[in-house]
Amino acid sequence: MGTLARLNPYFWKYRRLFSPGLLCAIASALFAMLAPGVVRQAVDSLPRFVAYYRAVEGTEAQPFFYAYALRGLLFYGGVILGLSLLSGLFTFLMRRTLVVASRHIEFDLRNALYEHLQRLPPSFYRKFPTGDVLTRATSDIEQVRRYVGPAIMYATRAVVLMVAAITAMLLISPELTLYTLLPMPLLAAGVFWVAHLVHRRSDALQAQYARLTSRVQEALNGIRVLKAYTREEAEARAFDAESEAYRRRMLDLARVDAFWSPIFLLLTGLSTILVVWKGGQLAMAGAITIGNIAEFIIYVALMTWPVASVGFVLSMIQRASASMRRLAEIFDTEPEIRDDPAWTDYSIRRIEGHITFRNVFFRYEEDGPWVLEDISFDLPAGGVLGIVGRTGAGKTTLVELIPRLIEPVRGVVEIDGHDVRRIPLSVLRRAIGYAPQDVFLFSDTVAANIAFGELEADLARIEEAAYEADLLENVRHFPHGFETFVGERGITLSGGQKQRTAIARALIRRPRILILDDALSAVDTETERRILRQLRRHYGKRTVIIVSHRISAVQEADLILVLDEGRIVERGTHAGLLKRDGLYARLYRQQLLEEELKQL
Amino acid sequence: MDDKTTRDGAPGLDRRLLWRLAGYLWPYRGWVALAFCTVMAEAFLGPLRPKLVQVAIDRHIVEGDWNGLQQIILLLVGVLVVEAALSFVNDYLTQWIGQRAIYDIRTKVYRHIQRQSLRFFDRTPVGRLITRVTNDVESLSDMLSAGVVRILGDLFRIVFIASFMFMLEWRLALVTLAVMPLMMAAVAWFRRKVREQYRETRRQLARLNAFLQEHISGMKIVQLFNREAEELRRFREINDAHRQAQIKTVFYFALFWPAVQLVSDTALGLVLWVGGLRALDGTLTLGVLIAFIQYVRQFFEPIRNLSDQYNMLQSAMAGAERIFGLLDQDTALPEPARPVRVERLRGHIEFRNVWFTYNELPTDGQEPNWVLRDVSFTVEPGQHLAIVGATGAGKTTIINLLLRFYDVQRGQILVDGHDVRDYALRDLRRHIGLVLQDVFLFSGTVLDNITLGDPSIPFEKVQEAARLIGADRFIERLPNGYFQDVRERGLTLSHGQRQLLSFVRALVYDPEVLVLDEATSSVDTETEQLIQRAMETLLRGRTAIIIAHRLSTIQHADQILVMHRGEVRERGTHQELLARDGLYRKLYELQFLEQARSAA
Repeated sequence: MGTLARLNPYFWKYRRLFSPGLLCAIASALFAMLAPGVVRQAVDSLPRFVAYYRAVEGTEAQPFFYAYALRGLLFYGGVILGLSLLSGLFTFLMRRTLVVASRHIEFDLRNALYEHLQRLPPSFYRKFPTGDVLTRATSDIEQVRRYVGPAIMYATRAVVLMVAAITAMLLISPELTLYTLLPMPLLAAGVFWVAHLVHRRSDALQAQYARLTSRVQEALNGIRVLKAYTREEAEARAFDAESEAYRRRMLDLARVDAFWSPIFLLLTGLSTILVVWKGGQLAMAGAITIGNIAEFIIYVALMTWPVASVGFVLSMIQRASASMRRLAEIFDTEPEIRDDPAWTDYSIRRIEGHITFRNVFFRYEEDGPWVLEDISFDLPAGGVLGIVGRTGAGKTTLVELIPRLIEPVRGVVEIDGHDVRRIPLSVLRRAIGYAPQDVFLFSDTVAANIAFGELEADLARIEEAAYEADLLENVRHFPHGFETFVGERGITLSGGQKQRTAIARALIRRPRILILDDALSAVDTETERRILRQLRRHYGKRTVIIVSHRISAVQEADLILVLDEGRIVERGTHAGLLKRDGLYARLYRQQLLEEELKQL
Repeated sequence: MDDKTTRDGAPGLDRRLLWRLAGYLWPYRGWVALAFCTVMAEAFLGPLRPKLVQVAIDRHIVEGDWNGLQQIILLLVGVLVVEAALSFVNDYLTQWIGQRAIYDIRTKVYRHIQRQSLRFFDRTPVGRLITRVTNDVESLSDMLSAGVVRILGDLFRIVFIASFMFMLEWRLALVTLAVMPLMMAAVAWFRRKVREQYRETRRQLARLNAFLQEHISGMKIVQLFNREAEELRRFREINDAHRQAQIKTVFYFALFWPAVQLVSDTALGLVLWVGGLRALDGTLTLGVLIAFIQYVRQFFEPIRNLSDQYNMLQSAMAGAERIFGLLDQDTALPEPARPVRVERLRGHIEFRNVWFTYNELPTDGQEPNWVLRDVSFTVEPGQHLAIVGATGAGKTTIINLLLRFYDVQRGQILVDGHDVRDYALRDLRRHIGLVLQDVFLFSGTVLDNITLGDPSIPFEKVQEAARLIGADRFIERLPNGYFQDVRERGLTLSHGQRQLLSFVRALVYDPEVLVLDEATSSVDTETEQLIQRAMETLLRGRTAIIIAHRLSTIQHADQILVMHRGEVRERGTHQELLARDGLYRKLYELQFLEQARSAA
């Protein structure tokens, strides 16, 4: 439960909601507690009324007395209604403060979580899958909210109601109170027990549901293999087994779920019966009135929910504390890549674009294989660097070191002679335009996706970037031009269009360093040629790094690196590398052949 | 058939759908009848208790009859226990019935989907099919389990409560019932408001989730483009809209509960007032008054439940409509009435002037987009045919047609002289083995992936096959050997290992004809040698059609088919084709020359 203490500052922050909220909870409980007393007085007054009424029977006073009794009883009814109104008003105010406060805390907590997520480097996201982080940001925060809002509200109300009711009951008859309360602790314990089991079993049910879903998904994705090997029947039987397991989990849950009503029924019913039994005995002895019995019956009804809620609250706290622990796992992860006042040189405000790698080694895990080994090169500002190599050669890893998405395990990456770790992150990244290999666009308009790279860009600049990325013509044909939505809510872009949007997004920043990580793989050669022609205007003015599996894209680079299994195996210019007749030359000849075949 | 699914507009309470759903309960009609009896009994016993309390008070407590009181108390306890037991039995039984029916529907839907032809899978997204088997089936759950039984139970409970009240004191009953419209109006108002508000909350929650999902996946882009501040601002906005929607929902809940309490207290006040006046005439006893106080409380529950049931029915109808829509269309390939009987195939294969397109044939007489044009070839028993060609030449399609994943539009495919359409699908595919280049591993153990869940394959046979293929060494090195879970975290089988597994799979099934789609990706020399030896083992004595990507395959093939844009351009042996210096020569240089060099 210790982790929940982390939430205490929030209670303080919203004390202006919590303190009146708790007062309202107390008031609403107290007013609700007054009603049974009124009922008792009404019931007890009846025999008196009846006796008087009989006494004046036949006299002229009778109609007057009837009117008096009518008003008297109406008064009791009115008081009950009034108490109900008052209690209702405070219940309303209680929910409007306490539950609302919990929504505010949820809001703050989620903002804090998202802000923290933004500071965490890619290595974090490799460890925590998207779905996992998403669950924490949604359902775990919701669990925590239930603790700060509803749980506290129910607990307060329950305590006040119980104290008030028990006091009132004790004043009437300690003996009857004792009997009436006998089943109550059992009710709370029963509710806690059932709630606990229900949660455990619904988790198991959810897990089985996920298994069932992934079984279907897998079978349908591999339908060709299934059909080829005529394993349909076996797979269907396996699916039957998963469905059967799901049915069993469901019934496991149903078995505990079916305990809810009996528990409430038995325990509150038992209390009522005890009231009638013991109360009847006491009434016969003259120790209490029959009105007291009615009063106790209402107390029992009033106490049912508060007592039960003690069980619910306990179970809520249990879950909230587990959720808080999961949230703390994220909050307590310190971003590895960040500005460090002791190390960062804040005097660096500008970047020219001179990139140097000095004996850089990199691997993802401490005892894993090297992904990059002993990479060294020097690229002057305004130079053009081409990187080629097979899939998995380490090309992407190499360029990710430049914007400090990852950091070298050994060696140094320098820009303008500064270790990149000394350059303020925002300065470094602002100077870089990056078009990644796996294009990621947001479900927003085309314009917004391009301007993602430059918040203040006007339409003219967006158009210019789109033009340079050879996207302008396409956009003109979109239903709403630049205002067309992409992704689920809008049109589906082709792979090439996505890549070109990503290139425009990088170009619009007018970056000192432009990195295209295999960003032209999905466009045809003709389009590639046009984009390269546009890029050429920047050669010499900006540092450009082009990663490609196609030689044609890197042909004109000042320096070409050929990567294989994490090492630089060849380096030089296009002409020089062709002369060497190595891997580069082979790749080049293959490409020419491919072109030729296409023409056939 | 179709009009059932495409009937006009929104799913209301379509009677035909209801009956069709009810059909799934028919096998369990005995249990449904029992559930109905228990629910009726429960509906009767609940209202019986206040009546007994009335008797206890009026006849025994007021009269001072201690023995009588004890008897009635015993009776009360008995009623309570039976009621609690019935409630448990009833809750569990309805779930049990419902889950049986759900199981029946789910497995039926799954089998139906699996039977469909590949053409169906080509045009239906897998995600949608998964939804049918999971969510849509799930939406029927409430209705098939508790649904009908509970509606009847609640209706009867209302009737029983009303009857008891009328029996006790009809005027007071009328007064109490007068509040009922108020209660129903309050519930209906609340339902409507909350439904609208829930829709808004769900919308906001979906926005929030979409934003989080997108930004967690695209965090790298956010960081690279220095968008943290801007994205945080946008997140806060969305988060705030979600908070506002939730707070608005709080408002309705805050209003609803006090309102319900108020209505119920109004009834209480009325009972006290009117009841008190009736007592003046001596027509009403204290016991009756106390009984009524309890009835007022009992009344609310079934009314609230009933209003839930309509929503439940509606969502069930929507799910049922989608499910039946799926079940009513069947695109499974037609099976011959009298299939050709096969014990073993000789392995003679002939394509005779085959034309094929994946699209539906155009009805307007336009020339369809043929993927295969007039393809003819013959493979004699025991011969090996290699197919080469650039991507999109139609190589994979030949495989798809031979295994009858699709039916040809023109021409004929003959196996052992019989049209493939004359074989039972099962037989055809049992005797023609497929090894795909993208090896699809199902979750489960290595063994499961080899036998594909066929328990009749003895373990020794698997071991023997693995030994012959040369996969035994790496399998036995796995932590759990053949029982290693292939999806376990941290375990990644290399591409070569996956290929070997699929060879073992094919060898275990021992088909007479083998169809192979070779992998393009390069493996290290050691694995390459393993694969080459494995291929020899696998192909020995079998007819084979191989989409060739490996040098040794084309060198050893009896016949090579050169495909280009859906046509057979050249055919012959490796040496003949090389000598011709045509398309084959270019393809050879592109795809195989490097292998030839590195082998040299």
